[in-house]
Amino acid sequence: MTPTVTETSGIQIRQLHKSYGSLDVLSGLDLTLPAGHIYGLVGPNGAGKTTLMSTICNHTFPSGGTILVDGENPAENAGVLERMCFIHEDQPYNDVFSVASILHVMPNFYPDWDAALAQRLVARFQVPVERRARKLSRGQKSAFAIVISLASRAAYTFLDEPYLGLDPTAREIFYEELMTDFGAHPRTIIMSTHLIDEAAALMEEVIVLHEGEIVLQADVDDARSSAYVARGLADEVRAFAQGRDVIAQRTLGRILSATIRGQVTPGDEDKASANRISLEPVSLQDLIAALGIHTLTNALTTENR
Amino acid sequence: MNTSTRSLRLYLSNKAYVVGVPIITLAAMVLVSVLIALVMGIVVGLPLPHDVEEGFRNNLGSLTALPGFLVSMGALAVNRNFAMALAFGSTRRNFWVGTALGFGLTSLVTAVAAVVLLALESLTHGWFVHTHAFDVTAMGNGNYLKAFAMTFVLSALSLFLGALFGTVYRAFGASLTTVTAFAMGIVVVGLIAVGVWQRVRVIAFLADWGLWAVVAIVAALVAAVAAASYSANRLATF
Repeated sequence: MTPTVTETSGIQIRQLHKSYGSLDVLSGLDLTLPAGHIYGLVGPNGAGKTTLMSTICNHTFPSGGTILVDGENPAENAGVLERMCFIHEDQPYNDVFSVASILHVMPNFYPDWDAALAQRLVARFQVPVERRARKLSRGQKSAFAIVISLASRAAYTFLDEPYLGLDPTAREIFYEELMTDFGAHPRTIIMSTHLIDEAAALMEEVIVLHEGEIVLQADVDDARSSAYVARGLADEVRAFAQGRDVIAQRTLGRILSATIRGQVTPGDEDKASANRISLEPVSLQDLIAALGIHTLTNALTTENR
Repeated sequence: MNTSTRSLRLYLSNKAYVVGVPIITLAAMVLVSVLIALVMGIVVGLPLPHDVEEGFRNNLGSLTALPGFLVSMGALAVNRNFAMALAFGSTRRNFWVGTALGFGLTSLVTAVAAVVLLALESLTHGWFVHTHAFDVTAMGNGNYLKAFAMTFVLSALSLFLGALFGTVYRAFGASLTTVTAFAMGIVVVGLIAVGVWQRVRVIAFLADWGLWAVVAIVAALVAAVAAASYSANRLATF
């Protein structure tokens, strides 16, 4: 039975640190994830996405801080951990286990295991069930991880770059099945991804990690309306951007695209139109890329203004 | 379902591997013993004459055939199955307990197989050629209980030894696994040296207690290695 989502359920993380030797991967991270939503965990390679999910699931140990899942510490807590499913992007499988033998044992781990869903997903993704799991191709491994993750109906499902190696058709199947199943069985899904715009429609909230810190946690729609892009001749755009919070810019020949924090006002539209500047909604991908650059440089350099 | 039982089920996912291969290995060892007897028979005649047959009582195939495979199986189980069990929401403790139960089951089935093969060997008068694979000194000279106990503890020791290497690797990485293997090698060499040094006492001890003394010592080693593996597993990460 799918657990009921309550006001108090969810994940609370306070001052989470994780380091490997002298390398700090997570640096005093605070995060609250109410249950029953789909979260997108994004950020550049090495930002700490997989480490964060591994630490929540007790796959690795935190160096400091606290993690609570539904108010309990998940460390060696069978009652909490058995409600989690986290297939790593590079998940090792026993050399001699076939896909079928693993699927056969899954109901033992997850009482809400949906065998019919697993069977349908295996067929749709064309996962070869008799093949040894470690012999699957990159795309087949991703598809197999999706099969287990969705069919587990785990209250807390973690997806680690779930689309790796999947072709566009398979990715569409994944998005469709995830939304359908989530609609029927709401639960908490945390998905790390680099295909931000493609997965944006799935996410309710986006969490941006950069160098072990959260640089943005926002509702996806709110995030997208938090900035806009001004595009036009470079000199015109620079003049328009004067005094505004420009968080990124990109030049192509004489054309400059500036990502500006804030919302477009009617006055802005008139000014832009008069200067042949188009004002466009920012894509989540561009916004996150801009935030990453903004964090590093904090502002545009003088010569670029 | 008890959460340790889940890991036991995972361990048993491929029964042909965790149960079938040890039995096939023992059967293959019998086949090799028979083939050797047949080759010797070309010179001394078949069935083998009594003095040659008695020589086969020193056959150590029943002791040496399994450990290599079982050590690798134990290491693989706690390495790959561990990563799978964690992904599927298991605790380290429940994974280890479930897998240890699986090791016990493999050891039990292997020991039963050894007893069955010993019975067949006795019924067929040494596989029709008067050779010996299980009715040997190292297995109690046809004593079913001793053959069972010896095979059980040896299988368990092999599996838990593999598990120890596997868990140390998961907890501390490749370097410390190498150090552990090296340290265990030194311990074994040290024990052999002590045995040689105190050979008179050792022989007297074995004469008094016989194979049961060896079984007891191996069983104690199983307990020690299992405890070390459990401790290392508490620190293992994905």
